[in-house]
Amino acid sequence: MIRIDGVLVSRGQGGVYGERMLGDLRVWDPYRSKLAALCYQDTGVELAPGMRVLYLGAAHGTTVSHVADYTDVVYAVEIAPRPMQDLLEVARRRTNIVPIMADAARPEQYARLVEPVDMVYQDVAQPDQVAIALANCIFLKPGGTLILMLKTRSVDTRREPAAVFSDAVARLAAGGGVLVRDSAWLAPYHHDHAAIICTAT
Amino acid sequence: MQSYWFGDVVDGTCHPCGGDAAAIAERVLSLDAGTDPSALPDWQVAVSCGACRDRMDYIRRLRDVCFLLAERTIQEKYSGRDVELLQMTRTLDELDTVINLLTGLAAEWYQTRHPAFSRKFRRIQARTLVRTMSRHSGGALGRVTGDIGRLSETRTALAREVSERADEVMPNCSALVGGLVAARLILHAGGLEPLARLPGSAIQVLGARAALFSHLSARSTPCPKHGIIFQHRRVHNAPLQVRGRVARVLAAKLAIAARLDLYRCAAAPEFIERAQARIDAAGAVP
Repeated sequence: MIRIDGVLVSRGQGGVYGERMLGDLRVWDPYRSKLAALCYQDTGVELAPGMRVLYLGAAHGTTVSHVADYTDVVYAVEIAPRPMQDLLEVARRRTNIVPIMADAARPEQYARLVEPVDMVYQDVAQPDQVAIALANCIFLKPGGTLILMLKTRSVDTRREPAAVFSDAVARLAAGGGVLVRDSAWLAPYHHDHAAIICTAT
Repeated sequence: MQSYWFGDVVDGTCHPCGGDAAAIAERVLSLDAGTDPSALPDWQVAVSCGACRDRMDYIRRLRDVCFLLAERTIQEKYSGRDVELLQMTRTLDELDTVINLLTGLAAEWYQTRHPAFSRKFRRIQARTLVRTMSRHSGGALGRVTGDIGRLSETRTALAREVSERADEVMPNCSALVGGLVAARLILHAGGLEPLARLPGSAIQVLGARAALFSHLSARSTPCPKHGIIFQHRRVHNAPLQVRGRVARVLAAKLAIAARLDLYRCAAAPEFIERAQARIDAAGAVP
């Protein structure tokens, strides 16, 4: 991944969400994107050319656009119509984004469209985040990476973030099909958010 | 046989479905769901049977289909009768906030120009106040107060439209609590269908988010008795000792009314009559 003086950037056409430019490189702000925040942590997460990514919870396509700058193709799943309109607009200008309007909790809705991928990125803020991630592991190639962005406050506002986190790690490990490789809290960029990185077996 | 968006694969032989993006989109919708990980689409298979030329062509065609599917789904979601009502209600509530804020600011500004002016001990309606201020002020203050007046007119017109639309979209809920409160209920629920799925107990505290979460997290505060439905006169006019009961009964009847609105799409006079009587009975002090 491209870093200039420690600043994470990606190479692509700018102006997607008013991001800052360094020459022809787009600055990828860790305060705005959880995936960028994760890349600033020392977890060895890399987006490489030729990678195929399934992105769940694509929202307005800001992070998706950066992922698309690095990889071969991004399958971007989003269910809400308002963000989807923006995502379509982003996808029109980036020909390696495949926008899919479907419910990430029901992968059978798009199983006819999505090929096996190298990375599943789960950023859907739902109480059953872990179940959604595990259900989408059917798309993951053996050895592929699953990144779960755990919004602990969306899972349960009443419990301590650390308890929600260890619970999620345990459920991922017990779910079968993936091994928990690493994890990181996204402070100081995002509070009460953790990333859990798994490898498909 | 395995079906993919580009065609069917029977015993290792691929049969492309052909047709343009619209035809393929139609086909994708008719395919039954499947989650067999060994049965995901493979672009090389698609190329081998001539559904596309190469990987770039595969992605291009797939994108065309996905765009069509997404645009169609967006249109479907926006075609609901309640979609515009949500936006109207949101704007109406925000207009209230803006008008109140501006009126307060303008009054303070006006007072610096007219030191003898005070609202104390004088029951001046906000609207009259704005009119007086705009008559006696020139320059920017005059324009601001004039704009507040026009915003108030817009607000009145919008409130009438919201009420009419709510009567049309949700006749039963509107009959129980009035169009404006009914519209705010579906605004907080996120639509008529989500509202109809809620149990009465959730409808009762809809909009009392802060109070509810403080109760749930610490249990040091009592559970809220009412959220938005407090705005309905039978709840806020009820004597304190029966107010919770009125709210409970009203919310339970609203849950039924919302389901009638969603599935029957018409007023049910006999239900409304019985529900009104039940709510009135709950408000009677023993």
